[in-house]
Order: sequence, then structure tokens, then C-alpha cells
Amino acid sequence: MTSMADLTRLHLSRSRRRFLQTSIAGLSGIALSSCGWTLAKVQTDQVRQGASDELHVYTWSNYVDQELIDAFRSQTGIKVISDVFDSNETMLATFQAGKARTYSIIYPSDYKVSQMVKLGYLSELDHSRLDGLQNILPRFQKSVHDSGNRFSVPVSWGTTGLIYNSEKLTEPPTDWNYLWTHKDKLTRRLTLMDDVREVMGAVLRSLGYSYNSTDLQQIKQAYEKLQELKPAITTFTTDAWRDQLLAGDLSIAMGYSADAVNVINQNPKLKYVIPTSGTSLWSDTMVIPKTAPNPDAAYAWLSFMLQPEVAARVTERLFFATPNQAAFNQLPDTLKNNVTLFPPQNLLDKAETVAPLDKSILELYEKYWTKLTSS
Amino acid sequence: MSTKVPSESRPIAPTPQWLQALLLLVPAGVWLALLLVIPTLLIFELSLVPNIKPGDLVNPSGLGNYWRIFQSDVLNVIGRSLLFATGTTLLCLLMGFPVAYWIALLSPKRWRNLLLLAFVLPLWTSSLLRSYAWISILRPTGVLNTLLTSLGLPTLDLLNRSPAVFIGMTYSLLPYMVLILYASLEKLDRRFLEAAADLGATPPQAFWKVTVPQTLPGIAAGSLLVFITGLGDFINPELLGGTSSMTAARLIYNQFLGATQNWGFGSALSMVLILAVSLAIALLIKYGDKNASSL
Repeated sequence: MTSMADLTRLHLSRSRRRFLQTSIAGLSGIALSSCGWTLAKVQTDQVRQGASDELHVYTWSNYVDQELIDAFRSQTGIKVISDVFDSNETMLATFQAGKARTYSIIYPSDYKVSQMVKLGYLSELDHSRLDGLQNILPRFQKSVHDSGNRFSVPVSWGTTGLIYNSEKLTEPPTDWNYLWTHKDKLTRRLTLMDDVREVMGAVLRSLGYSYNSTDLQQIKQAYEKLQELKPAITTFTTDAWRDQLLAGDLSIAMGYSADAVNVINQNPKLKYVIPTSGTSLWSDTMVIPKTAPNPDAAYAWLSFMLQPEVAARVTERLFFATPNQAAFNQLPDTLKNNVTLFPPQNLLDKAETVAPLDKSILELYEKYWTKLTSS
Repeated sequence: MSTKVPSESRPIAPTPQWLQALLLLVPAGVWLALLLVIPTLLIFELSLVPNIKPGDLVNPSGLGNYWRIFQSDVLNVIGRSLLFATGTTLLCLLMGFPVAYWIALLSPKRWRNLLLLAFVLPLWTSSLLRSYAWISILRPTGVLNTLLTSLGLPTLDLLNRSPAVFIGMTYSLLPYMVLILYASLEKLDRRFLEAAADLGATPPQAFWKVTVPQTLPGIAAGSLLVFITGLGDFINPELLGGTSSMTAARLIYNQFLGATQNWGFGSALSMVLILAVSLAIALLIKYGDKNASSL
């Protein structure tokens, strides 16, 4: 969930003191060795012991609220200090720049988990300490990014789809191809996400291919199809479409279901649709870094979050889809039947997870993206 | 430190010159070395490594990353950055000069500081906030178009196109231009203008032959500052420029935090930008007026 606007927003909120801390930490993050140096190395073998009654959590802005923190404290006596990030990239950069020893719990998205595992940052979870892990939906137990939940516990999931203003469109969209068949009416009234893989994946899917295609011909075909749509696209933004969609400047925006849910709650005339030819399925997870100062408190947090009661209440309060079946069963019917949060099975069956790809293929995606956004 | 004058004045041994230099320069020198020179050298080293990403061993092996810059799509991106920066510089100069001229030479003296302050005031809010404000103003049903419609005029579709980027960038950078031009114009020796008038020069002649040459260093310094800042701006193009707004700064960002994570290529692009800016500054120092150093 990257967005430039979010990134810059974060920079602004950073106080100067914090900036200096980060810069100095960045310098110390460079590890020198006799045969050169390693870029942004995190020393995972030196673990600092933190205060045992404190847990630092690094998470997205809408996942942890005061009520949750208070409930955890009354159960365990551990005080939670939570910091928020707004993109996985910011999170990883902060982690590498010297914050590795601060946090015992981090909330990376699925694709970032596989990257962090590859880098050797995450500790393998001791499943005997995690009651209720079997309640996680099978789909999220065998994610391509962390099969068997060896390193991560899924906490929330969602889809990518189209959000539209039902008062402005006579015929509602049902599939990605709607955008091409109506492109003349949509001139400069559509936003797509600011994310290569999501956008290219959707176009690949509309052509009947996989979100994770590695076929050079298919990728090229998708790029050409996307180029055709360009007059309709007014800009690429992941979440800054809200006001303009409401005002009628925009007709359709491509976005995450999590963003859609929040907007639709406040403005019922907006609707969310999962394209019938297939969409991407993402999840956000909780992990314990090897450098965690307080792993015991981290396990306490994971077990706490796995309690069906806790997961259900937090889903009700903060409106995200829980991957915990036992928690889902406790939800009120209005939430259970909310198709934006919990889409029907037939649509989920066609959904794919954006999977890690070879570097050379990623470069190709990136190259077409640069071409698209610079021509 | 002490304000008291010692009652017995002893002759103080003069500090050796090298020690004076050392004492005065070391704090800033260490600062610059730690936070500018060393990082720049590290970026240069990274730029020589193909396909490096966090966690990899740094192993310089050639100029491959630099050759990639000459691909047409990358050149296109750099060209767009240059266009945005140049256009913004010209717009700032065209709009900033009359304002600075008026404040420095024509406005009532007691209002001058207040006027300058009013001009700098927008800089106190965050640049991101100002860009978002432009979105609200320029969007199809935004402030500008509501106003135009109520006046019976045709609406303008500016947001998510290049004009919006120029508007946003010019708005962000104009105060810098005005401040520097003001400093330059304030020092203008008006006796030359009187002499020119005495010798029969018309006001436009006097302006072009006296005022402009005397403020040339200010014009150069202001333009350079706006150009360099504009070259690195990615907030305005990103938020206001629409689908074809990829700039060099954003391309560098993508190499570091995007899907591919090619820090080597990102570093090479950064080095090219650093070199281009350094070259511009070197030219200013060499050919700019020496008196401009006080600016």
C-alpha cells in the first residue's frame, strides 16, 4: 500500500529531532567489514533486552486503537507503545536505518513478509505458543508469501477493486473490461492505483492472464492495452480519489477494499465492485523481528490478537476483514454480509495474490511503467 | 564571553594562524564531511554496482548503471524534469521581478518589512498542504471553476496536466525569487538612474541599461535557486501532474522504494543530478558577478 502522498505526509509529521535520530542511526547501520561493506545491514545477532513490561508495536494507522491497547494491558499488564507507518517501504527503510531493535511486533503486508524473510530479519514463530492459529482461514495459512505461517500471523485481508459513484454512472461496472468499453465516456474521469504490480496485474487479468505473469509477450500486451486506456486515466493515486469521487470530478477509482469500506460507510452512494474476471487478494500480517527486544511480550500480543473475541471486537470497531474464522462467526450479521469486507466465495476463487517475481521480470514491469508515466 | 575588561591588561600571545583556521572551520567541516561528503561518496560507490539492493555486498564493478540513463524513456523523464524546472524559473522571474521592484523601490518605506513578511508567509505552511490546496482549487468542480461558471465563463480543466504543475511549482518557489531580487534591487544605486535621465535616457532605456545590469547577479542567483529546487521537486508534479508526470526525482524514489529496488541505478541517477546542479553553481561562481557573493 504505497502512496507518494502518504510518504510525504509522513515526512512532514516527523519532528526535527526524530529526523536527526534517524540520520545518525542510518550512519551506524552501515556495517564495515574487511572486504567492503554491506548495504543497510541489520545486525540480527546482537539483541538488546528491553523492559519486560513494554511492547513497541509498529503498525498501520487503522489497526491499533486505545481500546485495544487498554484491553491488552488489563489482560497482561504490558504497556503498548504503537508507532504507525504508511507504506511497507517506509517501514522497511526505518527498520533498516536503526529501528530494528525498537519494535517487537511489526505489521508488514504479505509481499513484504517474504522479502523480510529473505533478508533474514524475521524470527520463526513457535506455534506452540500461539493458541488459535488454527482458526485462521486455510487460504491465509498457505499464502505464497509465507506458507504455513512460519513467520507471520495474518491480521487483516482485502481485495482490490473499483469504487464508483452510483449517482454518476448509468450502467455500473462489473469487470475490468468495463473501463475499455466505456473509455470514451470516462475521459479523464478514472484513477488507477499508483502501483505497478496492481495496475499491470489487473490489465493482465482482464486479458485472461495471471496477475503474476512472467511471459514477456503477455506483459507487453498488457502494457499496450493500458496505453490505450490512458486518455481515460486522469492520474495514478492509491488513495487520494475520495473527495473528487464524491464531488463527481471522477467516475471510477481503482483502490483497496479497506479504503473503500471507510469511504462507503460515510457515503452510501459510493459503491465497491470486485471485477468478475478476478482481482488481487492481499493480507497484512504481524511478525516478530529477530532483533525484537521483548519477544515474550510479542508472543503475548499475537496470542491476544488471535483470541476470537478480541479479533471480532476490533473488526467491528475499525472495519477491516479478519482472517480468523472463529472471530468471523462472532460478528453481527450486518458485517458478515458486508460484501465489500467479505466478498462471496465465487469472486474469491478467482482472486490471486501478487507474488514475488524474478528481478529481471520486475525490471520489465518497472520499465513499462516508466514508459507509461513519462510518454 | 566575559563583558568585564580585565584591570591589568596583559599582552595576549597571538593564536597561531593555523590554529585559528582549525578552530573556526572544524565544526562545520566535520558536519559537512559526515553529512555531505561521505554520503555523496557512498552514493557514488553504490552507483557503480549493478542491481544492488539492501542486504547485498557493495562490490563496485563498472559504469553499467550510467549507460542505462541514455535509454529513451529515462532521457524523457530527465527532459520533463528540466522542462518543469526551466519553465518555473522563467515564470518566477517574470512575476517576481515586478513585485520585488515595487517593494524595493516604489512602496512606502514603513510598509516594506510588512510587505516582505506577507510575501514569505505562505512558506510557513507545509509545501504538501499547499499542493493539496491547489488540487481543491483546480479540480473540475473546484474553487476556480465554480468562480468561472458563476461569472458565465467557460471552465478550465487544468488539474492533472502540466499547467497545474507549473502553477503549483511557481507558487511554491516565487517567494524565494522575490526575496533574492529584493535584496539585489534594494542596493541599486539610484544616482545612476538620475544620471541616465539627465543624459536623455527614456525610463525603459534606463531600466534595461542601468537597473537590469546592476541586478544581474541577483537575477542569476534567484534563477539558480529556483531552478535547482524545481529540479528536485516531486511533490507538485506527483500531486498535480496526472498520468504523464514522472520526474527524475520520482524515478530515483522508485529505484529505492519501488518494486524493483535497484539502488545502483537510483544512485547513478542521483549522481547525474548532483553533477548537473554542481555544474550550474560552478558556472555561476565563474561567470556571475563577484559582488553577488554578498547575496
